[in-house]
Amino acid sequence: MGNDLKQQEENLIDRTVIICLKSVSKYYRRSQETLRVLDHIDLDIYQGEILALLGPSGCGKTTLLRQIAGFDHRESGSLLMDGHEVVQPEVKRIMIFQDFNQLFPWKTVIQNVVYPLQVNRVGESDTANREIALEYLKLVELTGFEDSYPHQLSGGMKQKAAMARALALKPKVLLMDEPFGSLDALTRIALQNLLLKVWQETGVTIIFVTHDIQEAVILSDRIAVMGRETAGIKKVIPNLLDRPRVVGEAGYSEIYGHVYSLMDINPTK
Amino acid sequence: MKTKVILSIVVFLFFGLILAGCSAMGKGREEKLQIRIAEQYGLAYAPLQIIKEKKLIEKNLPDIQVTWRQLGNTAAIREAMLADELDVGFMAIPPFLIGWDKGMEWKIACGLSSSPVALVVNKESIKSIQDFTQEDRIALPQPGSVQHILLSLACEKIWGDPTRLDNLLVTLDHPDGMNALLARREVSAHFTTPPYLFKELENPGMRQILDGKEALGEEFTFIVGVTTAKLYQDQPEVYDAFLRALEEAVDFMENNPTETIKILAAAYQIEQEEVLKYLEHPDMAYSLEVKGVMKFADFMQKNDYIKRKPANIEEVIWDENDK
Amino acid sequence: MKMTNKTSSYQKIKTRLFWVIVILVLWEIVAQSGIFPAAIFPSLLVIARALENSIVSGEILLQTAFSLALILQGFLISLLAAILVSSLAAGNKMFNGLVDTLAAIAHPLPGIALLPLIIVWFGTGTTSILVIIVHSVIWPMILNIMTGFKAISPIYKEAGLNFGLNRFQIIKDILIPASLPYVLSGIRIGWARAWRALISAEMIFGAVGLKGGLGWYIFKQRVFMDTPGMFAGIFVIVLIGIIVEDYVFAAFEERTVKKWGMI
Repeated sequence: MGNDLKQQEENLIDRTVIICLKSVSKYYRRSQETLRVLDHIDLDIYQGEILALLGPSGCGKTTLLRQIAGFDHRESGSLLMDGHEVVQPEVKRIMIFQDFNQLFPWKTVIQNVVYPLQVNRVGESDTANREIALEYLKLVELTGFEDSYPHQLSGGMKQKAAMARALALKPKVLLMDEPFGSLDALTRIALQNLLLKVWQETGVTIIFVTHDIQEAVILSDRIAVMGRETAGIKKVIPNLLDRPRVVGEAGYSEIYGHVYSLMDINPTK
Repeated sequence: MKTKVILSIVVFLFFGLILAGCSAMGKGREEKLQIRIAEQYGLAYAPLQIIKEKKLIEKNLPDIQVTWRQLGNTAAIREAMLADELDVGFMAIPPFLIGWDKGMEWKIACGLSSSPVALVVNKESIKSIQDFTQEDRIALPQPGSVQHILLSLACEKIWGDPTRLDNLLVTLDHPDGMNALLARREVSAHFTTPPYLFKELENPGMRQILDGKEALGEEFTFIVGVTTAKLYQDQPEVYDAFLRALEEAVDFMENNPTETIKILAAAYQIEQEEVLKYLEHPDMAYSLEVKGVMKFADFMQKNDYIKRKPANIEEVIWDENDK
Repeated sequence: MKMTNKTSSYQKIKTRLFWVIVILVLWEIVAQSGIFPAAIFPSLLVIARALENSIVSGEILLQTAFSLALILQGFLISLLAAILVSSLAAGNKMFNGLVDTLAAIAHPLPGIALLPLIIVWFGTGTTSILVIIVHSVIWPMILNIMTGFKAISPIYKEAGLNFGLNRFQIIKDILIPASLPYVLSGIRIGWARAWRALISAEMIFGAVGLKGGLGWYIFKQRVFMDTPGMFAGIFVIVLIGIIVEDYVFAAFEERTVKKWGMI
């Protein structure tokens, strides 16, 4: 564990850029007015880090994540991953949505994990793919639910299965769009811990969208704060607290307060 | 649960009774003098157009209310007469005999017309019904129709087997049958009557290989008027007025050809010259005389189209003894 | 869970049976009352005897087999064509517009209304009946499948794209299963319409040769005034309808969308 932590810190020092955004803009045109959702965004994402995209709803954080995923067209700017322009979704960047219904309801849990493996010919045979799937279901602690259908699972279990499905493809980057936003508080904490465990074991880069300051502080290496007014990133705050992090520990409130002050929260409103 | 079940049955039965009651009531209230007549489409029904136009029934019985209905086929007329929706139906002899065989209380009141009825082919290779192959299709109105029985008669004469060509039959009403024949796809023959018969023969390559008279071996009435026992026995004055009107219509057609043609052209929406041409056809005749019933009955009974046949003509034609 | 399923389907059969019996009893009461002449409203016993006769002679079985073979063909052709057309329409706006317009024109048009044209183009044989069946079935199916495609949560499609699925895989493995509840209701509507179209077409076309299907059988009994025989034919139609609805469709639903929690 201590070794992993060192590794992470070294990675941070290394600062290998895996995704590079230059002046990325995205507008929505509605009849006469043009809504600037993203206005000339510059951002580097480092290999192996957890980057939190934090902001109030409507600030464009999901739009930014979808840009990185390659789902949406952009007005201008460049978005490079490993030196290649991102033009469409790819297996090396897998998205996990907030919606519990991202698993295919007509497939069992294991079929959900195996199917993308088959499509991408990850394992050499169906048996091999099944082995891989079982391994990742074990990683997210879903052993025993392989043959359940999604509608038989709780919300937390569905999100775990979605994580297993994504990770089994060995993506370089995991894009998470408020994946725990609809969970109850206790389940959310459990899943946050699970995510950290998985991250440490796989070394995957994670971009994590959230509007929860606490979640951002607990999980991330850096926090990119976005504002509604600015249509962009206000500030990127490094978060070098030791892991495992506990709410209220030394340094926690400092970062929390820093982020809070950037969030345009006006008590009179 | 139990009470619910019982309740729903009661509701169900209640609606059933209301339905039944309604239809029974509908019958009760028709006490006024009236006659309801069904015809089909074609020149064979021409005198009926005259009766309609000249209001001949009303002339003979001023208070009567006359209702005319045009139905698509004989089966519908039969069912309507069974349900007491009609008093008089016009049809060919075989469908009448089928109803009579099944115990319908009806008899022939009069003849209406004789008409050419013939089998038209669109292939050079078919010179008689013996030339049909398994690939050929013969269109006619429906099994049990006069056309079907005539074809069966012809088959019996040649092969001793009236059903010989039954597996080539295609049931189509006259307009569809004509289209199919002219399209020259699968249908290679059509057993039909005017005006379709005449129209088909105007097309190049269409030939007539069999006609009704030849098939039956004697002249016969093509369309007869059939009335229910109820009309004949309960409303003799209506029955008489109807028959007189028919006689007058036939006379009128004989004596006033110009006006007849005008009326028919309007009724059928065809050119006057065409009407004239049709009426002048030697086989087209209008008369109240009834011919050919027993011959049809013999054949149909012998070949199981009907189970019994009339011992004499009085069994199927109204006469004084029935009153 | 299995238990409750079993009991509920048992319950369903019981209710179904109960009402069938009530209707039969009501029929018999009306028949015996003599409100309608026996020649148009025969009693159950007479109908049962006619049914027995036609089964013994084999005719009704032959005609039923003929009708079923035709409807299955027409149904499969329509289902495949509807899926193909809907899939193409899902991927192309222009084509979608065309299909939408065609469906708006053709959907309300009864196949029987097109009969004169169909006879001229396709003749009077089984091909024409097939054309009428396909016409009756394909439009409601296309409309349902297209609605189903539109109702699919975009997440499924995006997840599919993310996993590197090609167009064909998206349609086959995501659009179709995800819209299965709609496809199923399209199939149900289509089946009912196919039956009606088939029976009316058979009644009008009659037999090509001796085989004309159930519709033809009923029509023939009618023209020869064999009313009990006619009702025997109608009984077979009803029976097949109930079997297909209660067993085939219900079982398929049980094994798919219900098991998947999609409805």
